[in-house]
Amino acid sequence: MRKITNRAFSLLLIAALVICGMGLYLMEYVDRGQDWALYFSRVNSGSSGLLLDRNGQMLASFGQSREEFSPDAHVRTANYHVTGDYWGRTGAGVLSRYWSGMQGFSIFTGTTKSEDSVLTLSIDSRLNEYIYDQLMALGEDTKGMMLLSNYKTGEILGLVSVPSTDPLDTEAELKDGTYINRCLSASFTPGSVFKLITAAAAIEQIDDINETEFYCEGEYEIAGVPIICTGSHYTQTFEQALSNSCNVAFAQIAVELGQNTMVDYVREYGFLDSHQLNGINTAAGSYPTEFVGDPELGWSGIGQSTDMICPYSMLCFLCAVANGGELIEPSLVLEDGEPESSRLMEAATANQLKQMMNYNVVDHYNGEENFPGLKLCAKTGTAELGDGSSHAWFVGFLADEEHPFAFVTLVERGGYGLSTSGPIANNVLQWAVENIKVDKQ
Amino acid sequence: MEVFLDYALTTSKFAVIILSILILARCLRSMLSEKYESEVWGHLGCEGDSYTLTHWENLIGRSISSDVRLCYPGVSRCHAVLSRNDRGIWKIYDIFSRSGVWVNGVKVGGSGSQVVAGDVINLGGLTLKFYDMSAADQARNEAGRTSAGQHVSPTITLLELSLFQLALLCQHAMSAEAEHIRSIALAFVALMALQWCCYSAMRLMNRSGFEVETLAFYLTSLGMSVAASSTPEDMYRQILLTLAAVALFLFSGWWMRNLRRTMALRIPVAVLALALMAVNVLASDAVLGARNWLEFGGYSFQPSEIVKACYIYVGASTLERLFFRRNLYGFIAFSALCVVALALIGDFGTALIFFITFLIISYMRSGSLGTVFLAVSAAALAGFLAVTVKPYIAQRFATWGHAWEDVYGAGFQQTRAMSAAASGGLTGKGAGFGWLDDIFAANTDMVFAVICEELGLIIGLCMVAAVLVMAFFAVRSARRGRSAYYPIAACAAMALLLSQMALNVFGSLDLLPFTGVTFPFVSRGGSSLISCWLLMAFIKSADNRQGASFAVRPARSSGYDEGQEEEEEEAEEYINIAEGNPFIEPWQEENYEKDN
Repeated sequence: MRKITNRAFSLLLIAALVICGMGLYLMEYVDRGQDWALYFSRVNSGSSGLLLDRNGQMLASFGQSREEFSPDAHVRTANYHVTGDYWGRTGAGVLSRYWSGMQGFSIFTGTTKSEDSVLTLSIDSRLNEYIYDQLMALGEDTKGMMLLSNYKTGEILGLVSVPSTDPLDTEAELKDGTYINRCLSASFTPGSVFKLITAAAAIEQIDDINETEFYCEGEYEIAGVPIICTGSHYTQTFEQALSNSCNVAFAQIAVELGQNTMVDYVREYGFLDSHQLNGINTAAGSYPTEFVGDPELGWSGIGQSTDMICPYSMLCFLCAVANGGELIEPSLVLEDGEPESSRLMEAATANQLKQMMNYNVVDHYNGEENFPGLKLCAKTGTAELGDGSSHAWFVGFLADEEHPFAFVTLVERGGYGLSTSGPIANNVLQWAVENIKVDKQ
Repeated sequence: MEVFLDYALTTSKFAVIILSILILARCLRSMLSEKYESEVWGHLGCEGDSYTLTHWENLIGRSISSDVRLCYPGVSRCHAVLSRNDRGIWKIYDIFSRSGVWVNGVKVGGSGSQVVAGDVINLGGLTLKFYDMSAADQARNEAGRTSAGQHVSPTITLLELSLFQLALLCQHAMSAEAEHIRSIALAFVALMALQWCCYSAMRLMNRSGFEVETLAFYLTSLGMSVAASSTPEDMYRQILLTLAAVALFLFSGWWMRNLRRTMALRIPVAVLALALMAVNVLASDAVLGARNWLEFGGYSFQPSEIVKACYIYVGASTLERLFFRRNLYGFIAFSALCVVALALIGDFGTALIFFITFLIISYMRSGSLGTVFLAVSAAALAGFLAVTVKPYIAQRFATWGHAWEDVYGAGFQQTRAMSAAASGGLTGKGAGFGWLDDIFAANTDMVFAVICEELGLIIGLCMVAAVLVMAFFAVRSARRGRSAYYPIAACAAMALLLSQMALNVFGSLDLLPFTGVTFPFVSRGGSSLISCWLLMAFIKSADNRQGASFAVRPARSSGYDEGQEEEEEEAEEYINIAEGNPFIEPWQEENYEKDN
């Protein structure tokens, strides 16, 4: 019998495993209980809330047991990547990030029924509708994005990514990449818009850059490898080189600056890192940080090579340039109080870049005809993808105290920046200038 | 009014928690605090030494774990088993010793031979003289046996349980729809009446150990609460099932008090189990992946639940039989058939539970880790095959630990269970106030989360602790075991319940693959409830504290207890006629004869 008695202790092994398992659960519960509980918080807490745009237009609401969005399908679709959905299908929406913040939870009481809460976004849903229509006017299968913000306050006014979907239409046939938020969660080959970064670095690092003359005859060899230009620009100043978007000149500048300097600037301007927009993680970019030879460095200086940037990072850079080098932290939510700000570059650098971008528009983009009435500073980008197609970028801002808007427009594989994205940017800016009231600071 | 209801809800929530902890603590103290005094059932005299026989089944040999340890070169490590039956008759068995065993000069054969006081036993060159226990030993046994419920009054524990049930009922009265309140109240009242009837009957029979029943009733109350929140329209059925389960528990406990008839029925029970599995494999249709249901006139019934009890009934064994390999092989074959049948049905969760139970039984029977390793590696191979053959099992493994990556697909149930469980916090939202019970199969597979959401994490932990307390008790009562059958059965039953609980709880929390097995007593489902109460009979019969169990008769000066259920009386009369009175302990026999 003693044998049996001793062997009975084997049962304690199973009991010990159960106790360990419960311990593990308790640790996980303390650690992640909040995330778990708030994931289905609208059913867990039983409280209700509202998500409004800056004009008080209802974008989404939640109640005891059912979820609701705006009654207008067009509003729902145009704002889909702002709101996200209650099911977390698209990761970067406000709902998936913010609802939890509107609920109470502690590991002792669980979820608590909070006061009915209202979250007002800085987004103008009508602007989003307008942008959405502009992008979709290019065709059903358009993929692209547009971001528009107030660089004086950091408020993001417009955020649209296409293809989009109606969050209530669960039967809808989804196009590839519908759930990707192209404004925040993706990065793209920048092409010529990257020359703004190279130019900023050159302004600060090369003393006689404004006196330097660049010569372009359509092609230039670095260590035996040719850099092809879009045309032959012959003799040009630094300012003309940017407005010509001359590959030869900017490849030479990148090589002159050296890889280390280039990497330092790309990093300092925030293009390599992931940022947080109201707690939503944005995509990181890339730039050759390991040693590459001069030809590759030349290509990287004009936004090709392995360069990738997230549109949101570009928006931050533009806001800083427009605002004299000072970046007002962008936000999706209307908040009281002074927004955070940080200095991204020296005021002199920002101002010179601003002038050069304005010169681009006036001198090269036929500003008066294409962008009537706008004090526009901009840069185009036609990012070669190696298969004959190219991303069409158009980025910039209005040097206008009344309408301090910065914007990033991108149409994936959309052809030329100026001809594809330029008109969209113009229409949207015209609409914004007319319809969006900006509080005087 | 609303403020008043809020107060009432909060008060009853805390009442439920405090009462739960009190009930558990009292049961734990009562079950584990009593001192163990070894009993004396006989003596062996050997060259001036005297060895005490402290169990009904004693292993004689050189091995350190022998009950009578004889360190002589001629004695085998495990030489003989000396065992006593409930009629006080002693038999000695030779368990393949090298040198054999002789009683009064006659060699002991394969079926053992009877020994009576004064007999001379020869083994390994030693001469042992056998003495039955004396009147002094008997008096010592009587004095040493602590009475169950002596330190902790079971009446008060049961009162606390009733208050606990009232507090639960109070919460349901606030949350349930008006049309269901009557049936829910009736269910809880019926449950209370049932437990007090059981307890009164036990007290009338002079039995005071009621901890196992209290814990089982505690878990059944939680099950009742889950039923009231998820399927309030079905409460009457729940009451009937609980009645049936408790009746079966009492019957099987009574049945197992007689070891001979228990042992005699093992083969028919094994045949019944295999027949049930065969019917299940052949007749049932595929229901939700696993074909483990049979339909009878609108009621579904899960044969594998009943087979669980049968499996343990067949698997446990008395000591002298353990040493015959043939018996173990028979059991392995039986186990393999059960597991294969479950695999064919597609119920891999239950197959795994059976396998863990098999490991515990086979280890307790053979003591061989080698056998266990062999079994584990065979099972790993079988499991690998199952994963490759059945894609939905591979899917479950793929989801394991990644439930949150597929909230609307493979992780649907787990993520909801985890979210709802966390939303309850420590004290819960109140019985019937949760949302998880609307999710399909929440009241069975995700019942831990339903309890955590509605009654809070503390109650969730309490219900796990209740099963753990029973397991500790099973291990502890193994020391007192007279026959090996009861401790093996009790430990196997607890291994089964523990592993089933672990698969249920950790499966729904994504700490183990989701298998969809039930939580003992709490998960909704009639067959499961009946099976759990049947398993309780094994725990109960291993408990041989004074007056604790119906498996061991209380010591009374008069051998016969008048205040018993009719059914039992009839059966006993029948046996009395057939074989004399088997229920009278030998030391009582004198008194009995005097009294009559």
